[in-house]
Amino acid sequence: MRRIRRLFIGVTLSFLLAAGSTAQTITVNNDLVFGDMFPGVPKTISKYTAGAAAEFNVRGTNGAEVSIQFTLPTKMTKIGVSIQMIFFNTDCAVDTRPNPIQASPLFDNLNPWSTLLYRIGVQGLTIYLGGTVVPRIVQPPGAYTADITLTVAYTGA
Amino acid sequence: MNKKGVERKFAVVLVAAIICFSLSVNSVQAQDVATGTATATVLTALAVSAAQSLIFGNIYQGVAATIGNNIDASSGIFNILGQGSAGISISFALPQFIALADGSDRMTIGFSSTDATVDSNNTTPATVVAGDGWINVNPNLLPAATVIGAAGQTNVYLGGRIYPAVDQSAGGYSGDIILTVAYNGT
Repeated sequence: MRRIRRLFIGVTLSFLLAAGSTAQTITVNNDLVFGDMFPGVPKTISKYTAGAAAEFNVRGTNGAEVSIQFTLPTKMTKIGVSIQMIFFNTDCAVDTRPNPIQASPLFDNLNPWSTLLYRIGVQGLTIYLGGTVVPRIVQPPGAYTADITLTVAYTGA
Repeated sequence: MNKKGVERKFAVVLVAAIICFSLSVNSVQAQDVATGTATATVLTALAVSAAQSLIFGNIYQGVAATIGNNIDASSGIFNILGQGSAGISISFALPQFIALADGSDRMTIGFSSTDATVDSNNTTPATVVAGDGWINVNPNLLPAATVIGAAGQTNVYLGGRIYPAVDQSAGGYSGDIILTVAYNGT
């Protein structure tokens, strides 16, 4: 019976340890908003621009490493037509500080096309993303949209 | 079953429970996916048209003729349609001569530094006033601050002068006047 008791204690400890790890969650704080655009005039939204750059917040276990992977669109569309989108290899930034500063993020000029590895901070981890769109001179007017998918996973490190 | 057998069975069940629990915890933590959106609104595309040619009409050999930029019936008139109040860059490519259709003779044409008027209030060459835009400006250097009128249209009026030679061949002369317009993003 002593062994069983030890086993129970082990299970309880495992449970407590496991329960201490929080599942990560992503919140979209802000979409990537280009606003009004003129046909033939490319427009860039900087990752530093609050309210226009895309902003994601990841919550999870403090100190745990996560992989961050974007699935980026190459065009924005409305019915039947599209606009070219460009994400440069410096368009992303990550800030793991409790009070992230978008204008000067802790980890800057990151490549959103690559898998990024960072550790979650006390208040999570904030990701900023800028981008560029290139409308044609004869671009039909109207509202265009595209999905930006962010996948975050613990690496176990 | 003896006591050892019970312990062993219980141990197996517990180990299985631990494994299941670990697996389930890991699957909860495996990953999260969020989808943000990129949005943009494209404004009205530009459309430029030559509503009226610059018409000199009948002229005489050796007698220069001038058409002002304020004559409804004969000034060159260009219409620019687009997003109201948007900033645009506009520039003329002006000819140095006009020619007979068969190219056998040419006639010099000139434009002074006051031969153009930009009208953002959609009036006419004869009725446009200073408050409507930019009056009597250089067609070779149109105002940088030009905007599409609030109603979505701006007109450009153009005058000019031709210099027929004393032995100018008779016939109809023409030349292209090209107006290029682009949004400047303001």
